[in-house]
Amino acid sequence: MRTGTVTRDLKTNNMLHKCGVPLTPGDSCANCRLSNTNMADTAKEASFSLSNSERTSRSSSQGSGSASGDDPFGDQMSQGDHQAAMRRASRTRTQSTSDIKVLRTSKRTIYTAGRPPWFDVKGQFKEAFVIGICGGSASGKTTVANKIIEALDVPWVVQLSMDSFYKVLTPEEKELANQSDYNFDHPDAFDFELLFDTLKKLKRGRNVEVPIYDFTTHSRTKQQHTLYGANVIIFEGILTFVNPEVRKMLDMKVFVDTDSDIRLARRLRRDIMERNRDLVGVLKQYDKFVKPAFEQHIEPSMAHADIVVPRGGENEVAIDLIIRHVHSELEKRDVHFRSQLAAAGQGQPLPSSLHVLESTPQVRGMHTIIRNRETNRDEFIFYSKRLMRLLIEQAMAMLPFKTVKVKTPQGSTYEGMRFNWKRLCGVSILRAGETMEPALCAVCKDIRLGKILIQTNLSTGEPELHYLRLPKNISEDHVFLMDATVSTGAAAIMAIRVLLDHDVQEENIFFLSMLMAESGVQSVAYAFPKVKILATAVDPEVNDKYHIIPGIGNFGDRYFGTD
Amino acid sequence: MATITSNKACQDIGPNVRVLKSTGQLRELQTVLRDVETSRSDFMFCADRLIRLVVEEGLNQLPYSPLSVTTPTGYGYDGITFEKGNCGVSIMRSGEAMEQGLRDCCRSIRIGKILIQSEADTREAKVYYAKFPQDIETRKVLLMYPILSSGNTAIQAVQVLKEHGVKESNILLLSLFVTPHAVKSVTEEHPEMTILTSEIHPHVPLHFGQKYFGTD
Repeated sequence: MRTGTVTRDLKTNNMLHKCGVPLTPGDSCANCRLSNTNMADTAKEASFSLSNSERTSRSSSQGSGSASGDDPFGDQMSQGDHQAAMRRASRTRTQSTSDIKVLRTSKRTIYTAGRPPWFDVKGQFKEAFVIGICGGSASGKTTVANKIIEALDVPWVVQLSMDSFYKVLTPEEKELANQSDYNFDHPDAFDFELLFDTLKKLKRGRNVEVPIYDFTTHSRTKQQHTLYGANVIIFEGILTFVNPEVRKMLDMKVFVDTDSDIRLARRLRRDIMERNRDLVGVLKQYDKFVKPAFEQHIEPSMAHADIVVPRGGENEVAIDLIIRHVHSELEKRDVHFRSQLAAAGQGQPLPSSLHVLESTPQVRGMHTIIRNRETNRDEFIFYSKRLMRLLIEQAMAMLPFKTVKVKTPQGSTYEGMRFNWKRLCGVSILRAGETMEPALCAVCKDIRLGKILIQTNLSTGEPELHYLRLPKNISEDHVFLMDATVSTGAAAIMAIRVLLDHDVQEENIFFLSMLMAESGVQSVAYAFPKVKILATAVDPEVNDKYHIIPGIGNFGDRYFGTD
Repeated sequence: MATITSNKACQDIGPNVRVLKSTGQLRELQTVLRDVETSRSDFMFCADRLIRLVVEEGLNQLPYSPLSVTTPTGYGYDGITFEKGNCGVSIMRSGEAMEQGLRDCCRSIRIGKILIQSEADTREAKVYYAKFPQDIETRKVLLMYPILSSGNTAIQAVQVLKEHGVKESNILLLSLFVTPHAVKSVTEEHPEMTILTSEIHPHVPLHFGQKYFGTD
């Protein structure tokens, strides 16, 4: 029962430690295995690599004990004392290399740091760093991978296992497999084409669906893992170096070299104790397939490795070296995004992709009310909503339409127009963007809504992506992306990048905002010239605190009454 | 007090007649309301959306004056504020469909009502009932009636308002669909009143009231 592809974060790793069983590679006590898989599930659910709604209602019903119901992190937090203890542990020890912080305000606590910008001011992605880990069966690849993840200490690591890419077996092959007569260790047993495509997309920062291989039926389950948002990809398996195309994509190749006696011993223990196989069958498979495959395919591929790690996960020195190298590579990719943004595009004429709501007396009158600091919350909400409704009606009018003829009840024919788009969905940037959802729902019945939480890291000033949930199969939709106010455009660019990573067409994205600063308009238009930008008003300036001048104040706080 | 000039969101068709700017979106709403296949729930949904657009544009015709305010960031903003002293009047029954749209924009606006029915034999519009705010003669009146086919009903309603002391130039007729014939007869009868509509077309959806209220 391998867990296949699972994104692991610190929680997962802590979980392993929690069991108190010293983790020698590939084995674990029954308890540990149990909690490990449970945790992997939780991590899977919590990780926002799982953006699509493939999850069951479980995650939504799984509000954490400490968080209030509307806390967007509710389903990122796991339940129970066990996990709570683990969380505390993770908090105390994550202060080291990365900037994972615990943000505590009077009403809210955020435990994880979000993903910092993974693209430049032009909105382009710098490729993810891929670490390939190869080694014989039961050599401790997974342990090495876990140790790397743990030591890297950044949440934006995705683990991809070759096991997910086993080919679906025919009935005859299944029969062979049941008699331990099918060769799972040969390159032909893997779907390299799918593997290549998946890894390539992932390296480019795209959202991917990874199959889940069921070892009991030897087929892929209906469900898939959605993986998204990796700065570092750890790709492990027995034949990771065999295919030259795949090999080219690996930025760092690690070979885990463990003595074959130890590997056989581990394999026997794992297969017999955990997979209920019999000794004879396991030995037969080892003799017939595992050993020859190692000698023929795996051992020779060691020549491609950049680093050979003897003794697997116990080799602290080797793992430390790997981590240092990865850190230096990640630093090369680091950007200071927001400061660059604020400087970009100053003094340029406003772009043609910007559409500002016409400044009618009503629009100006409503702006006067909501900008006034004396306005009470009731009025603020009322007039904000009216303005949003106008903004959304304007955006709707910019969608494509086609001419149609309809029959009227009076019997005549009327030449009118109908919409000419496949589907429309709304995505709001939490928290303030959410305020625009009711207006959108009032204009579009049954519209699908996604949410993205982006917060500014208080110490770096950079936007960070914390949470993501998008409607399924969003790629052909027109998307209304909504945020209440935009100053530098950092969050807007990040959100647009997320949509593009999910294969939404750039020209199908409409960015809707109540109030934008010119600098924000410039930087969004600079990064994504095809995105249509709509605002009810554009203000000229941003001050050194990134507040819009004259502005509207903190929209979310005024709307939700948290000021 | 600043005066209102026409803006891009609507076009002027002759003096005191304004039509919402035609967009694909507006055409779609008009198409759905005309389509015989449209379900009642879609009909109401689209009608409400169209009404809201007409009402929002209607409110732009009201008088306002400049006002400077301070934003929460401490900077000044030069805006405007609307004058008080407006009211709505709906012509029963179909005009009542537009009341909610007005309420959604102006929460506490006063709304009067007029009941006018056509005599079956003479086709003459006759006033059965009228109830207005006390000081209606001092107010700007947003008169609501969605469909103008002959224009007789609207002409009668304006007549009633004038009898209550409302100045013709203080009346703004909000409607969704108007025939060219109705435009002509209403403007001839009451030249100083302003008409705002979403479309001028010889075929208007006469089934509006029945379908909206579900009495068809």
